[in-house]
Amino acid sequence: MTATLEVTELRKQFAIGRPAIDGVSFSVPAGEIVVLLGPSGCGKTTTLRCVAGLEHPTGGEISISGKVVSSPERGVLVPPRSRDLGMVFQSYAVWPHMTVRQNVIYPLKHRNISRADANRKVEEALALVGLSEYADRPVVALSGGQMQRVALARSMVYRPQLLLLDEPLSNLDAKLRLRLRDDLRVILKQTGMTALYVTHDQAEAVVLGDRIGVMRNGKLLQMDSPDAIYNRPADLFVANFTGATNELAGTLVTCNGQYGVVDFGDGRQGEVALFHELAPDQKVRVALRPENIAIGRPNGVNTFSAKVLDRRYQGTQTAYGIELFGKRLEAIELGTAARHQVGVEAPVSLPRECLWAYRDSGPVSHE
Amino acid sequence: MFTGLWVAALLVILAFLVIYPVLMLLLGALTDTNPVVDGLSRSLSHLSVANFLTVLANPNVGEALLNTLIACGGGTAIAVAIGLFFSWIVVRTNTPFKGFIAAASILPLFAPPLVAGVAWAILGSPKTGLINTMFKWIGSDLRVDLYSMWGLVFVFGIYYAPYVYMFTASALRNMDPSLEEAAEISGASAFSTLFTVTFPLIMPAIVSGMLLSFIVMLGIYGIPAVLGAPTNLNVLTTYIFKLTNWSPPLYNTAAAVAIILMVVTGLLVYLQQRVLSGRSYTTVAGKAFRPRSLDLGPWRWFTFAIGMLYLLVVVVLPSLALIVAAFRKFMFIRDVASLFDMRQYSLVHFESIFDNPLTMRSIYNAVEVGVITAVVGGALAFAIGYTIHRTRVAGRGTIDLISTLPVAIPGLVVGVAYLWAWIGIPGGLYGTIWILALAFIARFMPDTVKALSTSFLQIHRELEEAAWVCGKGMLGTIRTIVLPLASPGVLAAMTLLFVLAIRELGSSLFLYTSNTMVMSVLLLDYYEGGNIGKTAAFSLVQTVLLGVLIGGANWLSRGAAQGNVARTG
Ligand SMILES: Nc1ncnc2c1ncn2[C@@H]1O[C@H](COP(=O)(O)OP(=O)(O)O)[C@@H](O)[C@H]1O
Ligand SMILES: [Mg+2]
Repeated sequence: MTATLEVTELRKQFAIGRPAIDGVSFSVPAGEIVVLLGPSGCGKTTTLRCVAGLEHPTGGEISISGKVVSSPERGVLVPPRSRDLGMVFQSYAVWPHMTVRQNVIYPLKHRNISRADANRKVEEALALVGLSEYADRPVVALSGGQMQRVALARSMVYRPQLLLLDEPLSNLDAKLRLRLRDDLRVILKQTGMTALYVTHDQAEAVVLGDRIGVMRNGKLLQMDSPDAIYNRPADLFVANFTGATNELAGTLVTCNGQYGVVDFGDGRQGEVALFHELAPDQKVRVALRPENIAIGRPNGVNTFSAKVLDRRYQGTQTAYGIELFGKRLEAIELGTAARHQVGVEAPVSLPRECLWAYRDSGPVSHE
Repeated sequence: MFTGLWVAALLVILAFLVIYPVLMLLLGALTDTNPVVDGLSRSLSHLSVANFLTVLANPNVGEALLNTLIACGGGTAIAVAIGLFFSWIVVRTNTPFKGFIAAASILPLFAPPLVAGVAWAILGSPKTGLINTMFKWIGSDLRVDLYSMWGLVFVFGIYYAPYVYMFTASALRNMDPSLEEAAEISGASAFSTLFTVTFPLIMPAIVSGMLLSFIVMLGIYGIPAVLGAPTNLNVLTTYIFKLTNWSPPLYNTAAAVAIILMVVTGLLVYLQQRVLSGRSYTTVAGKAFRPRSLDLGPWRWFTFAIGMLYLLVVVVLPSLALIVAAFRKFMFIRDVASLFDMRQYSLVHFESIFDNPLTMRSIYNAVEVGVITAVVGGALAFAIGYTIHRTRVAGRGTIDLISTLPVAIPGLVVGVAYLWAWIGIPGGLYGTIWILALAFIARFMPDTVKALSTSFLQIHRELEEAAWVCGKGMLGTIRTIVLPLASPGVLAAMTLLFVLAIRELGSSLFLYTSNTMVMSVLLLDYYEGGNIGKTAAFSLVQTVLLGVLIGGANWLSRGAAQGNVARTG
């Protein structure tokens, strides 16, 4: 029984400070995994807790499977236990005074389910997360990763309409995080559950999400497929947060539909991709991924001469600092060979579809 | 060489303060000789377990033990219910003015038990009690009788609830709120979350708060002395005192019963330490949780009302009772009008207590004992704390052990032990102010050392080592580095000792003479003299004096004293 989640113009104002969530709208179709991605403090957890009913929104509407569960304007507020959803917490929140089985069977005890049925469901859930052999251990005797699996089993055992996950992997060590991340996607897809997943880790978001919403300062900036988030970021912040960390400033000279020509100063001009309406003579900022700078391979229109400032060999790739148009940029070249010497002048080419121009709206701080 | 002497000196002092009196108590319990008449050598030759067994078989002892267990058990049950309820209100709900409720609900900790007992005697005595008088005014047939086991259980319960509260409130504060949220998401109601998740998780805190309040009740003399006396209801503490007051005094029996009390207390202290050191589910090191407060809706006014009711019962009513009794010429109140008839009120009781030269003498004595205890006890605790926490000398483990032993010895037992230790030695300590001071130093040593240790542990070892490296000797380092840095802690510990010494009753009972009468004992005298007006007046004098002292101590130590006054009852 999976369901759609509909969040409309959600607002949350705590007693002090600016709004933690400021007009967030999105929807999660049944069976889809949506990831909310953003830096710490941007309001992801608060959004999730509003959906869960643990936090009371101050504005907007939340409905699950078409039923409004929260609407302060209309005085509707369904308590968490009646929303039929599951939640996995960052701190695991498994109950240390119980065994694995007792933890997982707990939600079933608060529902009208026969003993035999409940036991069968617990076995199924434990098998799903790979903890069948651990059923009768006290949870405190488990590792962090296993505890998080218990939490997952506990939140899915009653097949809630919607599963909420708040940075479930962030307390685990790096290796385990990667494994559980892949397992998690398989498990979620296997059960076909609708899920809302919160993280600050872009790699996690890309692997897990059917769609990703990028948040900043309580606002949802873009909600799209991972592919679109990575290849057509809606603004400079999204571009930067998802890895396009290089930035060039310039002025738009001409534009023709999807592409335009930008003057980077001193008459050096290049072709760039345009995702939104821009007029000639507008100041723009251009975002660029380090991986998309090709050193020493003159190719196409955007070929310029740059100087290699420094070089950091990283095994399977090499990171370079280069100087282009009087600015320092990061470049990454894949491969186990470091091909360029520090100090040399080399041609670099920047493919126009990888140069994304955005309106220059003053300095942007990158958290 | 020097360190060897140092450790030996500390061990001798500790043996003198703790081991010797306890051994003498044991000797007293195992002989049938009189320490005053017979002397030590004769006592030693009469050593036999038979005396102790006779005492065990005495039905009066059994009855006192049973009464003690019922009173403390019942009191603890009430204390747990109240303490748990309040910690939940204060930490987990949006009850209005909960900060005020939190602060006010630990007030009973500061009331000396005897004063509390007197106040509740004035309120709840079956014939003349104010509560029954009020029932009569409103034409109700209801009557209460606090001169009974029920009364004892009730007063114990409401006064020692803060012990449970202190443990459970901090456990709740340290508990990850998502543990409860997970239960709610799982479909559990707020009520069922409370009983399936919250309370089981803070069980270690509940149990140790419960044991502590039981332990403190075991050692209380003042409350059962007042409420139990009229119906001859004895608990172990009051029974021990009675034994030493018979003529001839039954010192041997008293010592044996004191041993029973000490063993029971020791077992419970051991249990409590086990629970405390056992795995605690709720404390996650260094992690701060966002407080979670349950929106009670209109019910928050109900929880607020219960908070106010508690304050009314433990603070307001007893204070009013004392004030009315102290200022009223006669306790008989015919009707409501008479209660507010100002002609019935005067300062006559205050005049009468201050006409008695013993009153000023007892206040003076109490202060003198307090100062000696604070200075000597503070210095000793500093030496012990430093040796335990800042050196690696051999024998510091033993020092630690002996200095914590008194935790398991109720004040009254310390009194009997010191009585046995010194009464038979002519020209010795007995009858001087010093025996009181030494008994207090021994009794409060664990708390003082503990309070001081915290301030030692806050001083970085490197600061000290830096001085060593600079060529300072050990004593030089202590004088120039440790003492100045620890001085706020030392000052706080000394003030704490001063306050504790001034309000102590249990051990004073056996150690005072007419020359060394102290406040708390004189109050008991007034009560036993039967004049409620004078008793109430002196209770007020003491309460105000203590209030000022504790306020000052708190101000000096910025809150450190509060928890510690609490621990020792
Ligand atoms: N209970 C609260 N009281 C006050 N401010 C809060 C509370 N919870 C969150 N905030 C604030 O709301 C903002 C968003 O927090 P949060 O949703 O936890 O961010 P994220 O999960 O994205 O790191 C932060 O500025 C945080 O300080
Ligand atoms: Mg968060």
